[in-house]
Amino acid sequence: MKLSTMTRAAVVTTVAATLLAACSQGSTTDDPTDDATEDAADEGADEGEATDEAEETDEPAETGGEASGETITLWLAGETDTPVELEEWLVTAFNEETGATLEVQRIPWGELLERSNQALPDPDNTPDVIEMGNTQVPTYTSVGAFEDLSGLLEELGDIGPEGFIEAGTYDGTVYAVPYYWGSRYIFFDKAAFSDAGLEVPTTLDELSTAAIALREAGDDGFSGLWLPGQDWRNGISWIFAHGGDIAVKEGDQWVGALSSPESVAGLTQWQELYAGASTAPQDGKDAEAWVPFNNGEAAMFMAPSWARWSVEETKAEDLGAFALPGVDGGVAPVFAGGSNIAISAQSQNKELAADLMRLIFSDDYQTMLAENGLGPANPAFTELMGDDEFAQAAISAAENAKLTPASSEWAAVETASVMEEFFGRIAGGEDVATVAAEVDGQLADMLNG
Amino acid sequence: MDPQNRYENVGWTRKTTTKRVEMTTQETLAVAAPVRSRRRRRGGLGAYWLLVPAIAVLLIGEGYPLVRQVIMSFQEFGRAQQFGAPPEWIGLDNYRELFADAQMWGVVVRSLVFCAVNVALTMLIGTGFALIMLRAPRVPRVLLQVSMLLCWAMPVIAAMTAWQWLFDSRYGLINWTLTNLGLGDFTRHNWLIEPLSFYLVATVIVVWMSVPFVAFTAYAALTQVPEDALEAGQIDGANAWQRWRFIIYPSIRPALTIVLMLQIVWDLRVFAQIHYLQGVGGVPSETHLLGTYIYTLGVGQSEYGMASAFALFVLVLTLILTGRYVHALLKAETV
Repeated sequence: MKLSTMTRAAVVTTVAATLLAACSQGSTTDDPTDDATEDAADEGADEGEATDEAEETDEPAETGGEASGETITLWLAGETDTPVELEEWLVTAFNEETGATLEVQRIPWGELLERSNQALPDPDNTPDVIEMGNTQVPTYTSVGAFEDLSGLLEELGDIGPEGFIEAGTYDGTVYAVPYYWGSRYIFFDKAAFSDAGLEVPTTLDELSTAAIALREAGDDGFSGLWLPGQDWRNGISWIFAHGGDIAVKEGDQWVGALSSPESVAGLTQWQELYAGASTAPQDGKDAEAWVPFNNGEAAMFMAPSWARWSVEETKAEDLGAFALPGVDGGVAPVFAGGSNIAISAQSQNKELAADLMRLIFSDDYQTMLAENGLGPANPAFTELMGDDEFAQAAISAAENAKLTPASSEWAAVETASVMEEFFGRIAGGEDVATVAAEVDGQLADMLNG
Repeated sequence: MDPQNRYENVGWTRKTTTKRVEMTTQETLAVAAPVRSRRRRRGGLGAYWLLVPAIAVLLIGEGYPLVRQVIMSFQEFGRAQQFGAPPEWIGLDNYRELFADAQMWGVVVRSLVFCAVNVALTMLIGTGFALIMLRAPRVPRVLLQVSMLLCWAMPVIAAMTAWQWLFDSRYGLINWTLTNLGLGDFTRHNWLIEPLSFYLVATVIVVWMSVPFVAFTAYAALTQVPEDALEAGQIDGANAWQRWRFIIYPSIRPALTIVLMLQIVWDLRVFAQIHYLQGVGGVPSETHLLGTYIYTLGVGQSEYGMASAFALFVLVLTLILTGRYVHALLKAETV
């Protein structure tokens, strides 16, 4: 087998180059070393500073009022969730207040858990303050990733919603506090409703009837209500509305509750609604639910409040909103969206991190959150969200919103797509009680660790 | 904990890469052997010194994570351990649990079949393109080369996004085309919901991405097939098939073997494409391959111990699958 020298060289070079390229792929996305140098430089600069700060906390005072030259890092979840003006305000106010620099990094939701796993345990790479989804937080409170916030709570003022505080609490200690809440409600096309002679539904049954009627009145492929098959974050509202739950804690054990009669009733209603009113794919998720609406292919969709800004102008005129109605009227408990915020236990600048927390819970910042449509942690500012139908829908939907089980293992359920597959199977027409019993077993296994 | 944990997260892919790099080092040695033995007599260990940086990089970048991975596979290592709790030694428990897991064997079988189908298709189509390039006139050949280079150069996620749009159930070009060609009603046909159909889409994408590399390498080898041998064969009355079978194929076989080996490794550890498709549709638990399964186990569920054990098993699997080609290559070179 003779191979000419040139070919041999060509092959070896190509192979080597390809392998080198392959080797480098893994490390490009998850390298948080950018902030390592700054944080490392900050260490040691803490000592010897004036300690004439008036505010008192449990932490030994490490820094004084003048912390110029120091930098702390804040991780915000999502590329756009916190509006840029709010970020800019924080950076400026933080510098004025402390003399130190605030560096904000935006971490895409999809990378947040993975990057937190890597950065939080590492004093050199950890963000000092981190925003995290309310369902993700319990995963970290139990392993000591966050600083105990008990000493700071009183200074932060009145905060809520209660479910968010519970999510950030482990063993009676608060480690993460609510950052903002959002809520899911129904967006609808007023013109489609009036053309079909329909009123805004006041019960879940009426919603189903209206959605199915709209679907039948529309073209092939038109959805009365756009309801993607794997969209469990909206789907669980039907379980909650009927009084069911995903899983409940009995003693110290988590028990799946999807096969309870209440949950099955909700899931059955959801299944009928999917079959009768939705042309969304069986494996569709909650992303970009406004696309079919913009295309005139759906009369309603359910999404978090900020989806409003993704509806096209031509459609915005007829855009209406209402909170998902309950079984017997009123408002159904929906899945509470939103974030918590915490100080990393490995932060090298806990005093500055606490200063940042105080700023976030200041009246100014809470006002800005509310005015930008993000539910403020301090309920005194909720009314600033406005009084149009969107704000009203958001506020009433949030009133009895619920969270996923506060198990430290919930993140595993999410990353294994258990709920997506569960709703997908129900959308596919499988028997609700059978699938629910099966998934209950799986949930018990996963949630109890 | 140390920042090295980051490596364990993507552990198995890196491990297989390690093996590949080591093999390549051996190959490089083997390939270069005849040349070097002539030079060595002129003295000097210069050639070995040239290898030092490469070996150092391998030891630091790949050796340490590999050692950590072996250690972790014998430990109970979860999120608590990552945040500082001392890991507990549990002997072979991870392995026992792993081998008793029916889902894991399903993943292994699916991955092997997926790998075999994709490697076969890639090699056939790639070699076919190389032969076309050899025969084609200049302009079409350059066009073909440029388009293949572009598809090879396209970043995976960008390519995946384009493919996702093509296969989109509502707005996808493929459903539209098939319906308009009268091949059936593909309106809102969902390509990802059935596992077999999911793998069909994945195969189309993976093969599309890998063909250029095979085609270019095979083409490079083909241009080196001695003209005189071909001419002699023709004079002796060998037909096209015989010329391929007895002259061309033996000449390009070493190159094809290297490529084949790389393809086996790549298609066995395929990750990005499957992970992406699972993110946009389909049923993840029914479509996991080795890469995504280990990722879900390790990064997703923080079962680093189990994930390490599985990754080591995959490493062994890769060695078994490619070992015979490495052996063949080494033998071919010493003849």
